[in-house]
Amino acid sequence: MNNTELGDAGAHEADNPSVPAVQLTGISKRFGAVVACDSVDLALQRGRLHGLLGENGAGKSTLMKMLIGLVLPDSGTISIDGAAQTIHDPRTASALSIGMVHQHFSLVDALTVWENVALGDTGRLDPNATRGRIGEIAEQYGLAIEPDRRVGDLTAGLRQRVEIIKCLRRDPSIVIFDEPTSVLTPEESEQLFESLRHVVVAESRAVVLVSHKLDEVLHATDDITIMRQGRVVDQRRSVDAAAPSLARAMVGREVSLRSERAALGIHRLDDTDLDSDLTETDTGLDGNGLDGNGLDGNGLDGNGLDGNGLDGDGLDGDGLDGDGLDGDGLDGDGLDGNGLDGNGLDDTGLDGNGLDGNGLDGNDLREGSGATGDTSAPGDRDTSGTVPAVATTAPPVLRIEAAVAHGTDGLVALDEFSLEMHAGEIVGVAGVEGNGQRELSDVLSSLLVLSSGTVTVDGTPVPTGKAGAMARAGIGVIPEDRHDSGLVLDMTVAENLVLVDQSRAATRGLIDQKRLNAFAVEMIEQFNIACSGPNAPMWSVSGGNQQRVVLARELSQEPKILVAANPTRGLDIGAIEYTTRRLETAAASGVAVLLISSELEEILELSDRIIVMHTGRIAGTMARAEANFETLGLCMGGAAT
Amino acid sequence: MADFLGAVDEIFSSEATYLNGALFAAFLAFAATGEWVAERSGTLNISVEGMLLGGAFTAVLGYHVSGSVALGLLAGMLGGMLIAGVQAEMSHRLAADQFVVGLTLNILVFGLTGFLENQIAPDSTLAGRWEIPVLSDIPLVGQALFGQRWPFYILYLLIPLSWWLVYRTRWGLELRSVGENPQSADVSGIDVNKRRRQSIYYAGLTCGLGGAFLIFGHIGRFEDTIVGGRGFIAIAAVIFGGWTLRGTLAGAMIFAGALSFRLSIQGLGYDVNNELLQALPFIVTIAGMAVFSHRVRAPAALARPFIRGLR
Repeated sequence: MNNTELGDAGAHEADNPSVPAVQLTGISKRFGAVVACDSVDLALQRGRLHGLLGENGAGKSTLMKMLIGLVLPDSGTISIDGAAQTIHDPRTASALSIGMVHQHFSLVDALTVWENVALGDTGRLDPNATRGRIGEIAEQYGLAIEPDRRVGDLTAGLRQRVEIIKCLRRDPSIVIFDEPTSVLTPEESEQLFESLRHVVVAESRAVVLVSHKLDEVLHATDDITIMRQGRVVDQRRSVDAAAPSLARAMVGREVSLRSERAALGIHRLDDTDLDSDLTETDTGLDGNGLDGNGLDGNGLDGNGLDGNGLDGDGLDGDGLDGDGLDGDGLDGDGLDGNGLDGNGLDDTGLDGNGLDGNGLDGNDLREGSGATGDTSAPGDRDTSGTVPAVATTAPPVLRIEAAVAHGTDGLVALDEFSLEMHAGEIVGVAGVEGNGQRELSDVLSSLLVLSSGTVTVDGTPVPTGKAGAMARAGIGVIPEDRHDSGLVLDMTVAENLVLVDQSRAATRGLIDQKRLNAFAVEMIEQFNIACSGPNAPMWSVSGGNQQRVVLARELSQEPKILVAANPTRGLDIGAIEYTTRRLETAAASGVAVLLISSELEEILELSDRIIVMHTGRIAGTMARAEANFETLGLCMGGAAT
Repeated sequence: MADFLGAVDEIFSSEATYLNGALFAAFLAFAATGEWVAERSGTLNISVEGMLLGGAFTAVLGYHVSGSVALGLLAGMLGGMLIAGVQAEMSHRLAADQFVVGLTLNILVFGLTGFLENQIAPDSTLAGRWEIPVLSDIPLVGQALFGQRWPFYILYLLIPLSWWLVYRTRWGLELRSVGENPQSADVSGIDVNKRRRQSIYYAGLTCGLGGAFLIFGHIGRFEDTIVGGRGFIAIAAVIFGGWTLRGTLAGAMIFAGALSFRLSIQGLGYDVNNELLQALPFIVTIAGMAVFSHRVRAPAALARPFIRGLR
């Protein structure tokens, strides 16, 4: 009833392009002292896919939540098809024919697909009608699904499908997709964008794609709005937009570093995106004595240029071009900032390559250099000279053997999982979320007990699931969720810094305030933690600095092994860069780093060796040089390698 | 030992055991069915004890005033819902801690009904016995299941009704979603706290019926000790049953069996320490919980308050 009315109105307005489907005018919202949205104007047209681009915290999600009724604006007006509306809850939004595809919040695991789809409807519960409707939508948009499966048993890609079907069931004329690809494999993302395009074309809907991934927005959308710090900073048509300028607008400055690109999800630029100056830069890189002076092509070649399809355009244009190449850019900035040198990989790679013939490590970053026959002296790069070589003959520092563990749902989460790690190497763990990565990090945090199998650190078996045992054995953990298991937000920075090992500040069980403060001040200085002092409550510190506190605490324990689970998730670019560099430095000083991440770019950038997890097993192990998005993606999807 | 086994054998072949067992089981089932609904919505409603006692008292009061058992039952339902109202509005509108509210209510109702009972000294009665033809002649269990006083039979309607409500209606679907993932339910346009309040009212209704059944179907008069901690056993039955209705009822029967055993063994003249016997049902409950409770999955949001905007 209501729907048809609005639908008709929509169809009518669609004839008149001057009235947008959605017109947001002067929308502002603040949470305490934080301005999430600052006088935002945005217009959505029917039949067009609108990309809403911005970093984490740019205010795009808040803006969309106001459209769907989950957050109320402080000021400003929302007009739907020309009529001003107040949307106080999701029901109002759905009556206005606005639907949202949520990434995390809207499915109930314990219910079946059809029950989830029916949730939020009104009227008599009719399972067969709902199943029928699911069938229709499935056919229309190519989103096949079994209506009677439990949602909790589905893969991320299938859940997304349910989410989309749930949104489309009432034929909304305005659809919002909120960060839809964050848990999908590359192939699943491709599929998603195909059906998304379909959704826009059908019945001329207005569709918003919220994302922080430049690449996907650029490819999938018609119009792009870029937000930064709660404001709209740029609006343009996608055909007129190019990745570098969008990135600039989004970040507010030049984007040059690999970690920034990783944060923005730039990794699949086509050749058409290459402009001539990129090629120039490329040649510049080689010609300009990069090879000659020992910086060689290593990181750049192996890592960025060929490996993952960044090709030239990845590093160049912004970062390494012109001035990047002379001393200034590359030495001081490009390499250091990038952590390529403090990396330890360089050196180990060289050693490995030259001396041990250790293919794995040697290959990783160095493949490029090896191939070009560059025999640059290690000394050139490695001024510190402290980086130990990785030798496979050395006993592994961490050995996990045939580990079997069960998740909270009682299902097997780790299935005969075995892994060896050597001092100084970074092992990347890739995989679609929910394939045992969480349990792996839980086992190494003493949170989960193994049903069978062993964990050995430096030859000594460590009991699993015994509180503190792993930490005492020398395993530091940067947990996946800082708030959930990394920090106590209501305690002070200083207290959080000694949370794992109070011996730094306590004697015989009594905390010595002076020692605590002294230690905290030292850490705050060493790790550049921006806070009002050791006694600042943890919640008053920004996300990036919270992560620094975790880093400071774990690294100050001088662990032999450091487990980093999605260490850069939810951080801004500066913090990502910092965290990444710290991990590299840790590895360079001989710590074995286990990097569990859902960001492939991050894994490809940092790891010496990459393992891919699928259903609790290792689906593939590859040296850095063998890995690219395609091979990883296939492996992640469970395809044999 | 042989002596003990002989006693057990005698108990199991005695019709009285089943008759008592059915009475205890029915009382627990009234309470546990409502508690099951409340827990499926995410509320660990510990004021069951108070709802049962309040329901029993208002039922007696209703009879005292009207002289009708049916109106007494109705008054019992209203009494249960009145207490449910305090629990629901306090914990799911004012966001007070559900356990604190529940505990306080239990103590308050205990004191209040004891006091009022003394002041008013209401009349009471037992309802008439209905013998269902043929079925009540089944050996051993016939009388227990089909020869009870009529309020007993309400249970035969209440159980399928509750199952149907929870699994077959939109209200039930929303209720379950609210118990599993309130954020998702909220995003889907469901008023989470309203559904939770409604589920507590439903528990109040069944507990009120349970209290009234205790009066008119079993004991015949009110005392402030008639519930005697069995509200908590009803909660245990839900957990024991793994948050399914079938399991909940099985739990109610097992715990009722322990209660009945206690009476029977004394009735048959065996000399067993009385305090130990009194503790028996609770020991069985704890043992049952210890064995079964970790195998099942509770509603994911059980006992977690929902406040909009907080994750």
